[in-house]
Amino acid sequence: MAAEASTRELTMSRAMVSAIAHEMRENSEVFYMGEDVADYGGIFDSTEGLREEFGYDRVMDVPISETAYLGAAVGAAQVGMRPIAELMFVDFFGVAMDQIYNQMAKNTYMSGGNVSVPMVLTAAVGGTYNDAAQHSQTLYGTFAHIPGLKVVVPSTAYEAKGLMHNAIRDDDPVLYMFHKRLMGIGWMPAPEGPKTPVPETDYTIPFGRADVKREGDDVTIVTLGLHVHRALEAAASLAEEDVSAEVVDLRSLVPLDTDTIVESVEKTGNLVVVDEDYRSFGVTGEIVASVADEALGALQNVERVAIPDVPIPYSRPLENEVIPSTEDIVTAVKRTQ
Amino acid sequence: MRVIQLSLAMPIVNEIPMEEMYEKMVTARTYEERLQEEYLEGKQPAFDISAGPIPGELHLAAGHEASAAGVVHHLRDDDVVTATHRPHHVAIAKGVDLDRMTAEIFGRETGLGKGKGGHMHLFDPDVNFACSGIIAEGCPPAVGAGLAANKRNEDSVAVAFIGEGAIDQGAFLESLNLAAVFELPVVFVIEDNDWAISMPKERVTDVENGAKRAHGFEMPGVRVDSDDAIEISEVAREAVGRARDRNGPTLIEVQVHRRMGHFMGDPETYRPEADQTAAAERDSIERLEADLREAGVTDDRIEELRTAARERVEAAIEWAKEQPLPEGETAYEDMFVNPPSGVTDTEPDFAAIGGDD
Amino acid sequence: MSEHTDRVAVTVAEWPDDVESDEGVVVNWFVGEDADVEESESLCEVQIEKVSLDVYAPATGTLTEILCAEDAEFERGETLAWISPAEDEAAQSSEQNDE
Repeated sequence: MAAEASTRELTMSRAMVSAIAHEMRENSEVFYMGEDVADYGGIFDSTEGLREEFGYDRVMDVPISETAYLGAAVGAAQVGMRPIAELMFVDFFGVAMDQIYNQMAKNTYMSGGNVSVPMVLTAAVGGTYNDAAQHSQTLYGTFAHIPGLKVVVPSTAYEAKGLMHNAIRDDDPVLYMFHKRLMGIGWMPAPEGPKTPVPETDYTIPFGRADVKREGDDVTIVTLGLHVHRALEAAASLAEEDVSAEVVDLRSLVPLDTDTIVESVEKTGNLVVVDEDYRSFGVTGEIVASVADEALGALQNVERVAIPDVPIPYSRPLENEVIPSTEDIVTAVKRTQ
Repeated sequence: MRVIQLSLAMPIVNEIPMEEMYEKMVTARTYEERLQEEYLEGKQPAFDISAGPIPGELHLAAGHEASAAGVVHHLRDDDVVTATHRPHHVAIAKGVDLDRMTAEIFGRETGLGKGKGGHMHLFDPDVNFACSGIIAEGCPPAVGAGLAANKRNEDSVAVAFIGEGAIDQGAFLESLNLAAVFELPVVFVIEDNDWAISMPKERVTDVENGAKRAHGFEMPGVRVDSDDAIEISEVAREAVGRARDRNGPTLIEVQVHRRMGHFMGDPETYRPEADQTAAAERDSIERLEADLREAGVTDDRIEELRTAARERVEAAIEWAKEQPLPEGETAYEDMFVNPPSGVTDTEPDFAAIGGDD
Repeated sequence: MSEHTDRVAVTVAEWPDDVESDEGVVVNWFVGEDADVEESESLCEVQIEKVSLDVYAPATGTLTEILCAEDAEFERGETLAWISPAEDEAAQSSEQNDE
């Protein structure tokens, strides 16, 4: 056990909260605003315990007015505060998208860098619990597509904390997308994987660095969020059939670490991209294109595993059909071999 | 460096700095008239929106001057102002750097936004001014600035300028609620010029008095029926004072008149000629001028103020036109103020940590 | 080396008022067997009906055995794990804990 490290494990929600709490203790300009973040602790545990420590003034419940409070976060950030504003479900972005993509994302650029927006926008993402089309999306592609935001997607408690420290300290606007199923909530049990040892120090993880979660030689599986764990499960299963899979966790959509992906594909020749967002015009297409751009010669096989271009259905067999499963990943890998 | 010095002395009626307001209003009117000339030059004979020294849309505020002058003279540099796509008179009243603002409108490298924002997206952090091009979009950030002031226990205030078309937009209504329920030091100023592009006010809203929107949010709302700078100033004094004393937000509606089209190039065929004529006749600048004379200001002094305004506008335009256009490669810069990787670019080094099996 | 005193049971200290059930599920363990733990440290999270609560270490020492793993059910009063208290540390922490 390393001197700095702790063998104590935390759920992803606790890791995220510990980073926020630390930053709030260190800097009085950091505050959190969202719906049900005070007494409830966030409906997906994103602020559990924070109101008890910091009070209603710094852990603010807001009216159901996303445009107003996300825009208020932009305004407070522009005068130098460090707000963290939460979209209860990323699917609610629609009612506030103007403030997100026309202000939060663009004010730095339109001002020639004279103004910065040091805010964090947290958003709960993802399905697998039958919440249907308006409450189950990840929308990774939608937000990665707009210039001006940094976009991060932690897959474990360890990353959740390090990325959150960076996000709060960064003077640029960061969208921090946390998967509900990974948080470790009692009523939505997490799979194996996201609960990890978490160091007690306030470490930062850089944006734009993918992490090879498992090394392998036969195929490169590039993925993020919940599907990092499904990919690791698939890799374990494939290993029993002598297929050695490398699993690359993107961790960050903007900036995107194409170097790590290309290095892996140059080794394996086979690329499988797994994304819990709609197939067309999104992450899978982007990753394949990026690799094709830089290392076309190395690419022998390409597979895109994503949610098909349908709204996410409610009934269990239907949702299971559309959200990529571990078996879907195994099948896709086998097609490359 | 040219500095245009004016000694702004008396008279001050009821503590209203009339000369200061007059000078700002004349500067704003002159500015808009000169920009109109610059804009249309090079777009003849048939209007091509992207041709000429000022490309794109241009929304001029001739006829709106009183609302900005009357409200903004109560503000300090640290008070935050957000404005609309028709921002120049507000920017001038707030003390935005006129040279760099003009360079930005002309798309030059030394503009406020290095040519990246343009006339609808002017940012001057030195005086806390910003404007934006989506209707009502400036309201939430103004509310946020008020929130920040409260959190920091400072007595600065925030003012959001909008048009009368914006009172039907969600961002405005949500902002009223947020400001009211959190008792924030914000003043919302509706500039009612009767027209949302080609839609007359009565066709799109049932309220004649937009200030009544405030009543749905338990907030004071006041309408000033004429664009009389002095009357506006008095109403604004109360509203800004209320905010500064931490007694909450106010909604003000001010009747102004649009002397030019919605945007340059707008033929205004929808607008009855009588309406246009009436607008041309109600000139808030002439009215304030009359008030100045009544307060004993001489013709010479008025002429001095007008000349100073004209010279300042000319100097700014001349300076702007000498500025270089930005190099194409700079289009890739200024996305972020920090490196893309954030505050670190190295992975922390822990043993026995991470998701590795 | 001094003898460890009798092992201490880790249980849900206060069963929530507003639940009817006498059963719960362990949702998350934050430490593993053989880990050093401190009194009042949160060891695991359990769920009883809709209520989530943390279970805290009743003593400082070593968590010698976990009886109720993640996802396993337990009954009210049931021991979830055992702590072998460290005598020296127990003495020290009782001096410090005068609050």
